Amino acid sequence: MASQKDTTGKGKILIMATENCAYPGANSVGQAHSTYPANTYIIRVRAPVLFPEQFYLDCFKKGISGIIIMSCGEECPYEGAYHALAKRIDRVYQLMKENGLDIRRLRLTSICTVCNRAFLKEVNDMNELISELGPPVLDKAA
Amino acid sequence: MSTNQEKKATGEQKKVGIYICHCGGNISDHVDVEKLAENVKDLDGVAVVHTNTFMCSDPGQELIQNDIRDGKVNRVVVASCAPSLHELTFRGAIKRAGMNPYLYEHANIREQVSWVHHGDQATEKATGLVAGAVAKALRLQPLEPIRVEARRHATVIGAGVAGLRAACDLACRGLEVALIEKSPFIGGRTASLGRLVPTGEQAEEVITQIAAKAMANDKVTIYSCTEVVGFEGFVGNFRLTLKRKPPEEPYSAAEPQKIRMDHLEKGEFLPAAGIFPGDVPDKEQEIFLETGAIVMATGFRSYVPGEGEYGYLHSDKVITLAELVELIARYPDRRGRFLQVKGKPVRRMAFIHCVGSRQIPGIHEPDQDGRLNEYCSRTCCAATLQAAVQIRSSFPETQIFDFYRDIRTYGRGQEEVYREASRQRVTFFRFEPEDPPRVQKSSGGKFPLLVSVKDTLTFGEQIDVPVDLVVLATGMEPTPIKELVEMMKLPVGADGFLQEVHPKLRPVEVANTGILLAGTCQAPMDVGEACNAAQAAAAKTTAMLARGYVELDPFVARVDPERCKGTGLCREACPIEGAIELKERQVDGKTVVQAQITPALCTGCGICVAVCPSRALDINGWTLEQYEAMVDAIVAA
Ligand SMILES: Cc1cc2nc3c(=O)[nH]c(=O)nc-3n(C[C@H](O)[C@H](O)[C@H](O)COP(=O)(O)OP(=O)(O)OC[C@H]3O[C@@H](n4cnc5c(N)ncnc54)[C@H](O)[C@@H]3O)c2cc1C
Repeated sequence: MASQKDTTGKGKILIMATENCAYPGANSVGQAHSTYPANTYIIRVRAPVLFPEQFYLDCFKKGISGIIIMSCGEECPYEGAYHALAKRIDRVYQLMKENGLDIRRLRLTSICTVCNRAFLKEVNDMNELISELGPPVLDKAA
Repeated sequence: MSTNQEKKATGEQKKVGIYICHCGGNISDHVDVEKLAENVKDLDGVAVVHTNTFMCSDPGQELIQNDIRDGKVNRVVVASCAPSLHELTFRGAIKRAGMNPYLYEHANIREQVSWVHHGDQATEKATGLVAGAVAKALRLQPLEPIRVEARRHATVIGAGVAGLRAACDLACRGLEVALIEKSPFIGGRTASLGRLVPTGEQAEEVITQIAAKAMANDKVTIYSCTEVVGFEGFVGNFRLTLKRKPPEEPYSAAEPQKIRMDHLEKGEFLPAAGIFPGDVPDKEQEIFLETGAIVMATGFRSYVPGEGEYGYLHSDKVITLAELVELIARYPDRRGRFLQVKGKPVRRMAFIHCVGSRQIPGIHEPDQDGRLNEYCSRTCCAATLQAAVQIRSSFPETQIFDFYRDIRTYGRGQEEVYREASRQRVTFFRFEPEDPPRVQKSSGGKFPLLVSVKDTLTFGEQIDVPVDLVVLATGMEPTPIKELVEMMKLPVGADGFLQEVHPKLRPVEVANTGILLAGTCQAPMDVGEACNAAQAAAAKTTAMLARGYVELDPFVARVDPERCKGTGLCREACPIEGAIELKERQVDGKTVVQAQITPALCTGCGICVAVCPSRALDINGWTLEQYEAMVDAIVAA
């Protein structure tokens, strides 16, 4: 089972990066050898619209400190998926508030295949935020 | 790191093999690969861990295949570079060893670890990512690719030498071919060339021959004056909308004059324009095409120097190599004491190399889009020297001065041209990029222009050469095809050319399955190289379409009938007409309504997964449960 505490003493950031845009975008940052905080874990997704609201709350419950959804934005190759995603994230924010979670811990962005600067900014911003906020604590059993 | 040792014994025992790549130091210089192996060897379900200098090499792949054949592993995790590079390589290796290729997961520890993090942190993060991959691998199920019918029809966009070559090869192998060319002529830029380096053949003859073959083959339909304006579908089943419209009269670059088309016959060659394919439309037309694959052959355009770059546009005695070559090509039989340009004899002329190529940030001016052409255009050195040799032979009193950064006569037969130019007493000067030659109008004097340079072939001597003509050896830029790039979502490299997946592993393919690259739309090439690339693209296209079907990734939605309650929420959420339907089914003698997926229509976006209250839907290969397990593993690592 997942352990609640973070062994590195530094919160972990989960990044959901779309296979068509943000994931190659993260690779492009790698090709440029630009460093960024290592507490970032990128998982490859086809479209983040796949995840139900509960998935996000569960991540925080498991101890993930921050989540960045790096979507394709308007470039999304799947019809209607981006708008459905944006709506879903609004509902997740609602649930986060109900659970006493700072909604800045979840960020929806779009990152293109060569958006190196935007990628670095998002990651650094989130890292700063979670070091300020500390580990996530949920008010009630979500 | 998980120390949880309990092994689940559900059904067949899952045995994960982890294969960690050094990438020849790219990974192992920053990630402690042996420590990583140690960190993950006791994870749930892990049977073996191997490391290798290059996992993608034959010995690396054999390592995996031997473990599979020996029954040691039935799930594979490779930790190496970005999956876009080698996912297919490893799937292929696994399949050849007799295992289902989808029982494989990739951990990206190069682009997303060793190239961006250093020291212990890098090893720690790699551990987390590999642990996540193992967690996913344990939950993978064997999948079968989806088979869809493919049209035995290919479309080539651009009828330069590369497009023509590809069209001929495709048709010879039995495919129907649509060859789409935006201009009224076929042959592309080669039609403006004269004697080709390195073979010495006449460009006109080369393209006339290939074009004649294309025109004579009834499997090839040529659409001149045509552009692609609509694009839909996927490999095997693309749908294109073409717009064919009456041409604006084209102009010749070297000698501005309208090219007239009214008296031309089919197959006739017109210098600087190309071969006339037979007709021009008199009114606009829209054409729909169904095609199985697309070969991009949209070619290049010559770099246009900025105003004042080496005196360009400030003096009409400064011209580009393309203009000079076209002039020579137009009048191949002219002889005399002096070369004549714009009605004036050229007593002395200068060539300047690397104009618009090999540009250096901080030294050269970027274009309006902020781009610099940092690449070498490959063809200009040899073409420059070829022109010099021809001028020296036909107009022996025209003296030639050649200002270069480096001479790159790289290919077979090219060095000979350089040697011949020296033998013909072309005078060479070498300059450094930060100290380029200066071209000025000379006041008074016998010559209108003065070229000054600090010559590094000597002691850095300052040299002033008065000349009648300056020729700028301008490089290549990709033909601007922004609309096509956006419409077809084509990958473009940092240099602006279309990008192949990998120059050795998957040459001439782009990441979008079913789209291939031929010729200079991909990089600067000479005619021979463009034809090589075109043949490769044609061979790959034929191999892909010849069977009459293509196999697509099986990453589409599936329904678990045990869980589906028939709420229909998935169908409401699904944006694709017909991808999900509600169907009646008999379960234990009762009729139930359940969701049913049509795999060929499903795009695998997963919108349905999130809305199902009973978690009855998943995307094959990307299930919610797999993601949850990955997050658990990452948190625990
Ligand atoms: C000055 C100079 C000298 C050279 N000398 C030599 C030499 O001596 N030997 C040698 O081997 N090579 C030489 N080359 C290189 C040679 O010109 C190229 O290798 C060759 O032309 C490349 O052919 P291509 O088919 O890739 O592109 P192109 O010749 O550019 O053809 C592309 C075709 O696509 C069409 N097209 C573009 N966009 C679209 C669109 N959106 N829709 C439909 N059609 C489109 C264009 O109209 C064109 O017909 C020289 C090049 C230059 C500039």
